[in-house]
Amino acid sequence: MMRFNDIKREAGFVFAHRQFKLTLLVVFLLSTAALWSGHAEMQAQQATIERLLEKDQVEREAVLSHQDSYGMVAYYAFHLTYAPPSPLAFAVVGERDVFPWKHRVRMLALEGQIYESDTDNPELAFLGRFDFAFVVSVLLPLFIILLLYDLKAKEREARRFDLLNVTARNSHAVWTSRTLVTLVPLALVTLVPFVAFAIVNGASVSSILLACIIVLGTISVWSAIVLAIGAAQRFAKYSATHLASLMLGVWLITTVIVPVTGHTVINAAVETPEGGKIVLTQREAVNGAWDKPVEETWEKFIETHPQWSDYTAYDPKRDGSFNWKWYFAFQQVGDESASELSNAYQQATIRKNQLAGYVSLLSPSLLTQRLLSNTASTNVQSMIDYENKVRAFHASLREFYYQQLFAAPEFSESSLKRLPQFTTSSQFTTTPMNTQENTNEK
Amino acid sequence: MTSKSVISASELSVRIDQRTILDNLNFEVGKGEVFALLGGNGAGKSTTLKTFLGLMKPSTGTASVMGMSVAENTNEVQKSVAYLPESVTLYGHLSGYENIRYFLSVAGVEKTDDAIHEALNKVALQENAWHNTLSNYSKGMRQKTAIALAILRNAPVLFLDEPTSGLDPAAIDEFNSLVSELANNGATIFMVTHDVYGACQVAHRIVLLSNGKLTGSFERVGDTPIDTEAVHAAFAGRK
Repeated sequence: MMRFNDIKREAGFVFAHRQFKLTLLVVFLLSTAALWSGHAEMQAQQATIERLLEKDQVEREAVLSHQDSYGMVAYYAFHLTYAPPSPLAFAVVGERDVFPWKHRVRMLALEGQIYESDTDNPELAFLGRFDFAFVVSVLLPLFIILLLYDLKAKEREARRFDLLNVTARNSHAVWTSRTLVTLVPLALVTLVPFVAFAIVNGASVSSILLACIIVLGTISVWSAIVLAIGAAQRFAKYSATHLASLMLGVWLITTVIVPVTGHTVINAAVETPEGGKIVLTQREAVNGAWDKPVEETWEKFIETHPQWSDYTAYDPKRDGSFNWKWYFAFQQVGDESASELSNAYQQATIRKNQLAGYVSLLSPSLLTQRLLSNTASTNVQSMIDYENKVRAFHASLREFYYQQLFAAPEFSESSLKRLPQFTTSSQFTTTPMNTQENTNEK
Repeated sequence: MTSKSVISASELSVRIDQRTILDNLNFEVGKGEVFALLGGNGAGKSTTLKTFLGLMKPSTGTASVMGMSVAENTNEVQKSVAYLPESVTLYGHLSGYENIRYFLSVAGVEKTDDAIHEALNKVALQENAWHNTLSNYSKGMRQKTAIALAILRNAPVLFLDEPTSGLDPAAIDEFNSLVSELANNGATIFMVTHDVYGACQVAHRIVLLSNGKLTGSFERVGDTPIDTEAVHAAFAGRK
């Protein structure tokens, strides 16, 4: 059984090594640098959102004050949508590097507006950003290998192994306490900066604890792998250098080869429409509508919006010089023509994410990244949820404007106070209007 | 095994992968005796030592220390013995004093600073070297540090692996004196070596080992060291 004296002795022993202290310093600096980098990125994203929110409001108010028809307002008014960084996003940038986290949408066909948005750094999805999750999942295992690969092999090579085993009151206590006093400081220099940054960023205690558990789990799993290889009878005669090569091989396979192969296989196996094709399909439908008989657009529109079937007539005197109802109807039809592709795209993304989850069971590093990104709400699902929020918000805009355009009450600036506002909550509602009461003569 | 024997091998054999490393060894070592197992490379000396240290299991027969079967009472036996490996490689980044403190703690033995100083003085390790890192020690100094450790552990049985290998003649003499003193104080010393001269100087009994078999035995008579020529002839003839 391990005693406090064993811990104290091995702590003194391990800390007497300059290389150990240097390794801890490097891990501390890497962890801090990664956290600082993620913190700066999220501060920048938050600042961008705040700046855009302010400008969005000013610009929309200017549009609203200069227009006198709902059609013009709907056409010119942009609305900012955004997914604010979660309090732990600084540690796990995750899919925020791949999926867009802000849009400026208007009443035009939506799918093009969603998929037009370029991602900031799509290539980072492959390489991995230098954030805390990267340090924990990719670099930390290397430091664990560095510190533990020769735990016993070094003693064997120095011919101290037998001496230690023969001398020790309890040889297990020597190895167990030496491993513990190596790993605990390693965990501390990794986690202390994280906890400090998490508190500064206002993360909840439960999410901080969960992330810490994931990091400790990663350290435990990698330590178990390294110790198991070091203790295996099969490798008992391997030199420390050979063992290190073997452990690095395991790291390379599980951290690089499995995820890259998985990525390639999943992409080949799951058929995914291209984002560009969605944009093209929607645009062709919208542009083509100008050359088609008006009735054709109405027919398709009414299929999905039967409540407006009696309100499609156009009165230039009342409605202005241009038929906005028809214009927005073919925008809607454009979206519907791309909806199958768009839905397939999202389903493919979900399917790929699900398959990547299975692959992560073969890769502790990938699993760590996924668990951390789930905790920080920067995973694929969070970004899909945001994308669907944009759709829901856009649907609420359409609901609002269709009531104004089809039911055609007189333009009133005050009615625009009910214009839906994007919020980060998932529900978007508009105040239902009584179409019969507000209906002018067709 | 006689009631006085501290170390004994009874029909001890070790086979690894169908290769016989030790073949039916039988011997006994009494209290206060310096016993040298002499053999060339591959004779089975290290295997014999590892079997008595509990680091290897016998295939047949018994290796006993202090009346206990090593295979069945490994932990108990290991508490009773001190082991000096060949080329004593204690920790280079610790001083001699720190190494002793460390290994005493590993062994679960508590000693005062005074006791450690006394042991270091006893093995004649220069005082100005006590707190230097071991990487600056000569082999003889490391050897003395390890013996000081054995003294501090009060182990009644010492197993020494090629103890004089690499030592200069003066260091060998010092070492032999220390071993004799320990034996005179009641310690039983079992050494494996291929140093004929060194073994003859210090051992009460020398047993020759060749291809895993005992092939000869020489005993000191009174204070006269064992005849080096005779041992050398037997050793060279059977190597």
